[in-house]
Amino acid sequence: MNLLKSYFLPRLSQWLITILVGVTVTFILPRLLPTDPVERTLSTLSSLQTMDPRAVESLKEALEDLYGLGGSPFEQYINYWKRLIRGDLGPSMSAFPTPVIEIIGAGLPWTVGLLISTIFISWILGIILGTLAGYLPKNLWCQIMDKIFISIYPIPYYILALILVMSFCYHFQVFPLVGGASGKPEISWSYLSSILWHSFLPATSLIVGSTAFRFIMAKALTSTIIASDYVHYAETAGLSRWRIVLFYVIRNTLLPQATDLGLSIGAIFSGTVITEVVFSYPGIGYSLYMGLLQADFNLILGITVFSIVGIATAALLVDLSYPLLDPRVRYK
Amino acid sequence: MQNRSKFIVLLGLVGINIILLTACKDQTNTTKTTSSSKSQLPVDLPRQDILVVDQIFRYSVVENFNLWMPGIPSPTKQGLIMDSLWYIDQETGQQINSLSTASPRYNKDFTQMTVKLRSGVYWSDGVEFTADDLVFTVNNLKSNPGMLWSTELELFVKEVKKVDNYTVIFELKDSNPRFHYQFTIKYNGVWMQPKHIWEDVEDPMTFKFNPPVSLGAYEYADSDPSGYWELFKRRQDWERTTPGILTGKPGPPYIMSVFYGDSGRKAMAITRHELDMVQNVDYEAFQAILKKTPTARSWYKEFPWAYPNEQSARYFGFNLGSETVLSNKDVRWALTLALDIVDLQTEYIGGVARVTAIPHPASPPQMELYHTPLEPWLKELQIEIEEGIFYHPYDDAVPKKIAAWARKQGHSIPSGAEELRLLFGTGWWKHDPEIAERLLLKNGFTRNRNGEWLTPDGELWKIKMIVAPDEVEIYRLAIGAQDQWADFGLKLEIETLQRDPYYNRNLMGEFEAISSWSNASTGDATRDKWQAIFGLHSQFYTPIGKSTATTGSTNTLRVKSKEMDRIIDELDQIHPEDDRVVELGREFMKLWVENMFSIITISFKNFTTVDQYYWTGFPTNENPFVQPLYWFGGGRFTFQNVAPAAGNTPKQ
Amino acid sequence: MKIIKDLFKYHLSFRFGAIILLLIFLLATLSFFSPYEATKRRVVPKNEAPSFDYIFGTTSLGQDVFWILTFAIRNTLIIAGLAVLIGRSIAVILGSFSGYVGGTTDRVLQSIVDSFIVIPRLPLLILISFVLKGELNFLHLALILGFLDIAWPSKRYRSQILSLREQEFTYTAVFSGMNTFKVILKEHFPFFIPYLLADAVSGFLWAIGIEITLAVLGLCDLTTPTIGTMIYWGNYYQALLMQRLWVLAAPVITSIFIVVAFYLISTSLSEYLDPRTRLKRLGTGG
Repeated sequence: MNLLKSYFLPRLSQWLITILVGVTVTFILPRLLPTDPVERTLSTLSSLQTMDPRAVESLKEALEDLYGLGGSPFEQYINYWKRLIRGDLGPSMSAFPTPVIEIIGAGLPWTVGLLISTIFISWILGIILGTLAGYLPKNLWCQIMDKIFISIYPIPYYILALILVMSFCYHFQVFPLVGGASGKPEISWSYLSSILWHSFLPATSLIVGSTAFRFIMAKALTSTIIASDYVHYAETAGLSRWRIVLFYVIRNTLLPQATDLGLSIGAIFSGTVITEVVFSYPGIGYSLYMGLLQADFNLILGITVFSIVGIATAALLVDLSYPLLDPRVRYK
Repeated sequence: MQNRSKFIVLLGLVGINIILLTACKDQTNTTKTTSSSKSQLPVDLPRQDILVVDQIFRYSVVENFNLWMPGIPSPTKQGLIMDSLWYIDQETGQQINSLSTASPRYNKDFTQMTVKLRSGVYWSDGVEFTADDLVFTVNNLKSNPGMLWSTELELFVKEVKKVDNYTVIFELKDSNPRFHYQFTIKYNGVWMQPKHIWEDVEDPMTFKFNPPVSLGAYEYADSDPSGYWELFKRRQDWERTTPGILTGKPGPPYIMSVFYGDSGRKAMAITRHELDMVQNVDYEAFQAILKKTPTARSWYKEFPWAYPNEQSARYFGFNLGSETVLSNKDVRWALTLALDIVDLQTEYIGGVARVTAIPHPASPPQMELYHTPLEPWLKELQIEIEEGIFYHPYDDAVPKKIAAWARKQGHSIPSGAEELRLLFGTGWWKHDPEIAERLLLKNGFTRNRNGEWLTPDGELWKIKMIVAPDEVEIYRLAIGAQDQWADFGLKLEIETLQRDPYYNRNLMGEFEAISSWSNASTGDATRDKWQAIFGLHSQFYTPIGKSTATTGSTNTLRVKSKEMDRIIDELDQIHPEDDRVVELGREFMKLWVENMFSIITISFKNFTTVDQYYWTGFPTNENPFVQPLYWFGGGRFTFQNVAPAAGNTPKQ
Repeated sequence: MKIIKDLFKYHLSFRFGAIILLLIFLLATLSFFSPYEATKRRVVPKNEAPSFDYIFGTTSLGQDVFWILTFAIRNTLIIAGLAVLIGRSIAVILGSFSGYVGGTTDRVLQSIVDSFIVIPRLPLLILISFVLKGELNFLHLALILGFLDIAWPSKRYRSQILSLREQEFTYTAVFSGMNTFKVILKEHFPFFIPYLLADAVSGFLWAIGIEITLAVLGLCDLTTPTIGTMIYWGNYYQALLMQRLWVLAAPVITSIFIVVAFYLISTSLSEYLDPRTRLKRLGTGG
């Protein structure tokens, strides 16, 4: 009971405040843009077709009405919260009247699928390899690995992705150029395998960079741990190397690594624009990007709310799980 | 070559991949696929049944065919499944009578318009299209402000009446000789709604019209929820649609639009034979396509390749909404004469566009109407460089000079004057820095010791120009101007912007100078300049800081001219078939040129590329029977003419 | 000074790193002696492959890749360096303070940090660049990147401190009467430094990466040569499709060298500074 009051409740309220502040900021920021949704719609229209200037004024008024941009910003803000609590993200303005939730629904599964799997794969790979390299700095293989990762790590992601596309979609036409799958969505081997096939290059591009990052982090953390007394004791006690790596070294570097993992999982909801653009892969990042450029207030907020709640929750969970990961941290 | 590879290997920390690239450089896939090869396209259909066209952007909305709502993406599909009364073919300039069998008939004072409809045209659900649909569409749109064309129809139409199944009369609120433009399609226009579907719809604004009941030769088949592609299937009864009736040809069994991404990715897709028709790619990507894909071509078989007839032109504009040194027309003339169009058109654009000195696209039919008749006037035109000293700025030798450059590059170029005009345009302004200098000196400008210009206030003269590098020509022309004006002693600062903020700044008037297109130089492939210039009338004038998009103005440069108002007012009152229309158009162009409101440089060019590996029958310079602009409304007729290439037998 | 001499003498990776970095700085300094202005075009033949005349080749606009690169390195080092300096120094102070003091202060600070963290950075940057309308020159970019890169690292530092705080030697130190500040400085900092340095390198890379991303999306000032804009323009003129790899190779390889150099220096420095690994190294006959 005491624990609940002194540990969980404050963190929970912190979580709430974070979300409140985050949403408020993302409500205000887009409204500072030099453009607004009605102006955007009208300018898109005028670039596509000749509109009779005499009719534009009344179309403008009609659109303002439709987009719910009447009333003061404060009223709009209150209305937004009212709708948000009901789970209604409102209509997209650049794609009116499509509900924002539909646009998110179309992209989010792809983003989540791609990012969760790549984050986990690279996290595990990176930690294991990095810890090994840190623990056995004299081993030849570890040194080679070290050199490879450190050279891959700084390659700009965009270039890495481009090279993958050029190599395996153009010079060797192995992988498809566009989309996330082929055929009708269904639970069948051919559809599911096409998902894996389509995601191979984007996933590779993401894994390579983040594995290198994780590797370097893990190695750096390990190098401080191996000098610790307990590792010494373990070594003197003649424990096997594997045991030492797994139970002493990795265990002790896990806290910061888990924090990172939690936060990067929380952060996936804003997607990866560059991955989507370079590989023509579906996802939420491009929608958000276009939303930003087209001043689609509802779409920006809609996607960012996911992101805000995602990261805040991840941070909360990480916080709450500290004591589990590191017994030395006590609830205070 | 040897050296380069060595060098790369030496540097090769990204080695593995770069070596891969160099090693397999010449490996192209040229074996023609046999009958039912599985393609990497995202649909399970035989490749040879599908015409794959470039979708010009990734759709944010899918499975919504309510194209009467702003915000629902329309390119390509509006041509495939929608229909309206008339089309203007953007290549030939001819009116195509689609759902109507003849041009509209107006009464004397243009307050009544009678339309004759075509019989035997059917919706894809088997119902015949009749006058009821047209009357319903107009009334339905009128009663739903917020839908497209609603406010226009409300503004103009008093009443719309059905006389019989194939005759409709519009009673107009005011005299309007151009009311039929609402139903005349270039890109978009009032599309017909099937009454039997829409009359039961409760909220037409949120209605998705999915699946759409089609009035084109194709119907919707499938689409990607992520907006990368859309698939359309040929209707069984395609002969009962206007594209079928007017062309008598079936078109491909399937048409699929795919968004592949930027120019580079489109080039890859063509090389993989996964894209048959492309809206546009940049110069470099096009060269890569030519190198790797022998079956691909653009409008001309050889240099200058690109399609030159889209109805608009590029310009350098100056913000005239506030008083600056650029408000002085002499200064704008000086800037013009400091430009070298031949260098600009060749070194920066690759020699692949027509120059135009007047605010109008230089497509062959339009050149006949405007450029050629205006040429004597252009040659006579004089500007006063000093008190009483006049100068002829026009140079009709520009096409010859461009041809000379092209020959030097190894292209074979015809030598006839008329052929050169068709390739490179009629002429432009002389490159004469000395005259430009005198014009500036006359207006109080001076040069400092380094040869840089100082404004009459004695400050270093700098111009800041906004540019969107995404818009390839816009950017390349701008850097050309930057280089050329730098040689003249003027510093042009280029501010690169992403497309959307760039458009926004343009409309808001928040720029000093801009590299852009459209504005007064748009055409409609017709003889009538009204659509391009009506929005320039001072009644719509929009001050700096307010978007012209919200006022209906097209005057982004904030030009003020009483004379222009007079021309527009007169033009507005006469029927587009009246011969005075062309005269007024020319008067407008003269006015624009004399004042050099903006420096018009080149006509549009698109590397509209087709791959003839699977399909043929595309319009080309040798056979320009229809517009290649397939993403426009009139693309429906382009598609209909596409037929299987030799060796390709569609299964359906 | 002596430390650097020592390191240079005895530490191979430090020597490597230092030499590369020196070369990089040399290149950056060379920009001041460039025969051409940074933005000048058509000064050399177009699209030349690397040769003795143009060791890194030339661009599609007739610029010498070598000289453009010198400007790009200078500007990128300024952007990324400034961003890391601002971001890391604030983050370290914030994170270690918060982690060490704990209690209500920690919670308040964490609320603020979390509110920053939850708003995704790239969209925020895109928004800022849009709102600033062309005012986003490369110095502003450096400042903004620095401030945006405070929240995440500070959270990492905090968790690092949380973990250190619970170590035995902390208690030993506290019980033996050391004050908080001294504990942090003497006992925790040596542990902290390898992490900090590795993190600074990653921050450096993040800044370069985001600069490239913004350039690729066309959202920053593309007329200033940086590693990012070089890649943008290389790609803009289809360097990959047209097999003009040298245009992209120069900035990419340079960015690799920059980061590797910093990395080598950071690891050797941290090894040198950390008393325990040093002892161990001596002990195991290093």
